[in-house]
Amino acid sequence: MFFHIVLERNMQLHPRFFGRNLRENLVSKLMKDVEGTCSGRHGFVVAITGIESVGKGLIRDGTAFVTFPVKYQCVVFRPFKGEILEAVVTLVNKMGFFAEAGPVQIFVSKHLIPDDMEFQAGDMPNYTTSDGSVKIQKECEVRLKIIGTRVDATEIFCVGTIKDDFLGVINDPAAAA
Amino acid sequence: MAHHSDSEDDDYSYEDDDDDSEFDEEEEEPRNSRKKRGRSNPDSAAARGKKRKPSGSIFIEDDVIVDDDEEDDEDVEDGFIEHGEADHRGEEVVHRQFHEPTFRSRVGAEEYLDFMQEKYSKPRAQYDDDDDYEGGEELTAVDQQALLPSVRDPKLWMVKCAIGREREVAVCLMQKAIDRGSNFKIRSVIALDHLQNYIYVEADMEAHVKEAIKGMRSIFANHKILLVPIREMADVLSVKSKTVELARDTWVRMKLGIYKGDLAQVVDVDDVRRKVTVKLIPRIDLQHLADKQEGRPIVKKKAFVPPPRFMNVDEARELHIRVERRRDRMTGDYFENIDGLLFKDGFLYKQVSTKSISTQNVTPTFDELERFKKANENGEIDFVDMSTLFANRKKGHFMKGDEVIVIKGDLKNLKGWVEKVDEENVLIRSDTKGLHNPLAVNEKELCKYFEPGNHVKVVCGTNEGATGMVVKVEQHVLSILSDTTKQHIRVFADHVVKSAEVTNGVTKMGEYELHDLVLLSNLSFGVIIKLDNEAIQILKGVPGRTELVIVKHGEIKYKIEKRINAKDRNKNVITVKDVVRVIDGPNKGKQGPVVQIYKGVLFLHDRHNVENAGFLCAKCSSCVLVGGSNSAADRIVDSFSRLGNPKPPAPVPPSPRRFQRADSAGAGGRHWSGRGGRGHDLLVGAYVKVRMGPFKGYRGRILEVKEKTVRLEHEARIVTGKLSPLHTLLVARDAIADVNENVATPSQYNMGSQTPLHPSRTPLHPCMTPMRDSGATPIHNGMRTPMRDRAWNPYTPMSPPRDSWEDGNSGSWGTSLLYQPASPMRTYDAATPGSGWDSSTPGRNYSDAGTPRDANAPSPYQPMTPNSASYLPSTPGGQPMTPGTDLDVQSPDIGGDAETWLMPGILVNVHKAGENINVGVIRDVLPDGSCVVALGDRGEGETVMAVQNEVRLVCPRKNERVKIVGGKHRGLLAKLIGLDGSDGIVKLDDTLDIKILNLDSLAKLAHA
Repeated sequence: MFFHIVLERNMQLHPRFFGRNLRENLVSKLMKDVEGTCSGRHGFVVAITGIESVGKGLIRDGTAFVTFPVKYQCVVFRPFKGEILEAVVTLVNKMGFFAEAGPVQIFVSKHLIPDDMEFQAGDMPNYTTSDGSVKIQKECEVRLKIIGTRVDATEIFCVGTIKDDFLGVINDPAAAA
Repeated sequence: MAHHSDSEDDDYSYEDDDDDSEFDEEEEEPRNSRKKRGRSNPDSAAARGKKRKPSGSIFIEDDVIVDDDEEDDEDVEDGFIEHGEADHRGEEVVHRQFHEPTFRSRVGAEEYLDFMQEKYSKPRAQYDDDDDYEGGEELTAVDQQALLPSVRDPKLWMVKCAIGREREVAVCLMQKAIDRGSNFKIRSVIALDHLQNYIYVEADMEAHVKEAIKGMRSIFANHKILLVPIREMADVLSVKSKTVELARDTWVRMKLGIYKGDLAQVVDVDDVRRKVTVKLIPRIDLQHLADKQEGRPIVKKKAFVPPPRFMNVDEARELHIRVERRRDRMTGDYFENIDGLLFKDGFLYKQVSTKSISTQNVTPTFDELERFKKANENGEIDFVDMSTLFANRKKGHFMKGDEVIVIKGDLKNLKGWVEKVDEENVLIRSDTKGLHNPLAVNEKELCKYFEPGNHVKVVCGTNEGATGMVVKVEQHVLSILSDTTKQHIRVFADHVVKSAEVTNGVTKMGEYELHDLVLLSNLSFGVIIKLDNEAIQILKGVPGRTELVIVKHGEIKYKIEKRINAKDRNKNVITVKDVVRVIDGPNKGKQGPVVQIYKGVLFLHDRHNVENAGFLCAKCSSCVLVGGSNSAADRIVDSFSRLGNPKPPAPVPPSPRRFQRADSAGAGGRHWSGRGGRGHDLLVGAYVKVRMGPFKGYRGRILEVKEKTVRLEHEARIVTGKLSPLHTLLVARDAIADVNENVATPSQYNMGSQTPLHPSRTPLHPCMTPMRDSGATPIHNGMRTPMRDRAWNPYTPMSPPRDSWEDGNSGSWGTSLLYQPASPMRTYDAATPGSGWDSSTPGRNYSDAGTPRDANAPSPYQPMTPNSASYLPSTPGGQPMTPGTDLDVQSPDIGGDAETWLMPGILVNVHKAGENINVGVIRDVLPDGSCVVALGDRGEGETVMAVQNEVRLVCPRKNERVKIVGGKHRGLLAKLIGLDGSDGIVKLDDTLDIKILNLDSLAKLAHA
């Protein structure tokens, strides 16, 4: 789920950047530092949408760096248990498949794939129904439900299921082509 | 029986103490049988008039049953019971002894038990009447207390007897009591099964005991008789409740025979005869059986234990083994009888004694249960028997808050949460309406409950320690997706707990941890990707293919802890944690953060890669740093090939410097005097900052300069930072910057216009150090998230600000890129000081870069010319570095230099091109720097010649003997007594002084 929230961060800036463009430098450094990071509390920071305020800079002893407290608005993405997501399949193996929804990696175990879908090994490993009408392979898009999340310092890993109503393949570029 | 009765009077004449010589082992049996017969007459027991405490009698009664049990195989007494059997064999009687020719039914035993009970209830009743024992039928707790022995009661004495004769002695004493009558003063004798070597005698006085045991052969009369303290008396006779009730379907393990350790399931229990029928997976050698039946000679192979396999009757028939199909009279089941063994559904049904199975800590593994399941073919494991698995649960199995499900009884399938654990009972709270909360449920009726998506940790079994997410729940079996291996593990719900933590199963084993870079005993290296109970799985550092080895702990030589950098194809410096993409080789297209770097081989962790825990290894030259600059190659000189990289990177032609180095060693070398000479002395007093290694960031004044080290004075501590020659120089460059500020060296003349580049560069110089810091530390840290270069994020490292920093500072980048790679191959550089020197000479540097702005720069060869005027200016502010002085003091004797590194007697790794790395001992160092190495740990192998750059020191480990090969103490022998980062704490042999030296200046000493 996406949220638009305000976060705060202390930015350290080298004196080199002091000058007319200080603020621009600060913002671009903030973007570089923050966007794409992940925290267990807020999830992934997707994009900074605005700066609320930049506090007074404090010169740090010994290093000449200056610390600015910056409040910024950002869009964060955090998956929740029970959430329905659309994701792109990135890897299929005999244990199930991995899919990605933006920065989040989701694993769908073969136990959580409908029983009528069988694993087909080969050049393009995939899960196919017995009649061959539905095929899950790399690059195809699936709708899945998250049943569990694990939050590390640097990533969020989810386990999902497609064994439920209205879940499964929603678009298969390979088949369409 | 008849022949026993003849002799009994003679045998047991206790009157005469000397007679006991007639006692010997063979007589035990008739004696017992007689005793039993005596017991079987209720009157006789009462008539004995022997006063017994109730507890004692209970014990003896028990004993008697045991006796009975043990004998009945051979006991002639069976005759009388067979009558009973003939008459009373009823439907409800279950037969278990399919292959015993003579057997006794339960009826016989029950009858027997009945009158035993009758018999013993009588004296008890008398007791209650006669004595002032209160309480009647049901004893209350208070009454129980009153029964405890007091000081007025007879005491218990512990008497030592021969091992194995405890029972015999007790029975003999009983016989003696019967024979002697009232003048035999002891009250009772107790022999405990679990207590060897001693019997207890109950008597009022020690003298009575002594008298009673007098003359008995199995008793050591001269041994001291010990009084049992009153408090402990009750314990002597309290029966330990270790007897686990053997119920049907219980899982047990066999203790003896070829089935030892095998899992078995109890099919039937005979409590009276202490026998159980178990179901096993047979270990039968059919061929052997066939041979036996046909009377062929049998070769005895003792060591061979056939593997467990289900019996296939057809197969047996093919081998002409006689298979009889019989119906069991009682159960109505059909059994296949092969050579006296009973089989059903492929399982062997075997009757064994309860003593030969163990019921404690059985904990069947998943595989074992699966095998049992396989045979009955109708799918699911019968989880009724799960309850027996739970019997072996640890104490405190359930914790408050655990989610549980009831598996037995009326409340079956009720889910709830543990509120409180109270010994056996667990109070649970459930959501179900209409139930009063909390409910007390027996622990055995509960099982933990998990739902898919739960993150759990395995707490027992083979997968202990692993964590993962539940993906499937099948009754009590969970499928877990392991966090590390991304594999499915199947475990019992009971063996896991909910956990937020993420571990990889075992993450540490001895000194090695998961993902450590280690050197193996065959001198190959790799990253630990999996730790098992015993085995360590290693992904070897062979770029281009996946080579996995499983090794034991001992096969690892040591952990490689060096922090090394490498360069990617575009000469970007790769450090650990940088994200790189593989652009060549079998792993092409993979991408991930670098976990380890060694010898130009990168170990990446690609989270999309499911194999090898996501690890793969690649050559650094076939990787590109994600977000790195491609133009780096234009800007900087490639010193790659010189740095020992096995494969010169494509964009830059193999530099001519390889040969040039030889030049400098030969021709140029002449002018270069010893590096420890004056050139370095110029550094003394300069303010420098350490840029690498454990002291990175420290500033200080140079106190002393040696071959490879400079000694810095820091406000807080004096450190000896060992720096490679390149490094020394680079520190010197820093020093220049700093010197400009601090010491105000008149370097301004350099800032003139000698080269177009320099004016622009030099002013930047003071800024260079902090900026590198800013690039390397705080900003970098922020950027070290794996996502930082994901495509979806448009602002990742390629963002303009950063680039502009870099661009604004190409000079500093050039240098930094130049020196950083120096460290991985430090030995190499060190061994060739001359070349190391010139590589860092700025003049060379720029000319190699071949950029137009260097047009005025001196030619690379000019620095060789002493006092080259054109050269001087090119050193940015670098008086200390002025080649002129350097060249003057350089010693022409490279060999002498090499000596600082290589000394006879030390252990080295010899790596010749195209060969494996071999360990060897330096026997001699030749003046030209090459050395004579005797291969092998102790130098027992063949002797080879090795050039310096083919030889690398073997890093010593703690408590090993070392030789100091660099620094002030060069040449001394010492013992490495500790490690501290990249420093080693050594104790010198001569002075016993403790010194802290850089590990690189320590070489492992070969065993004498």
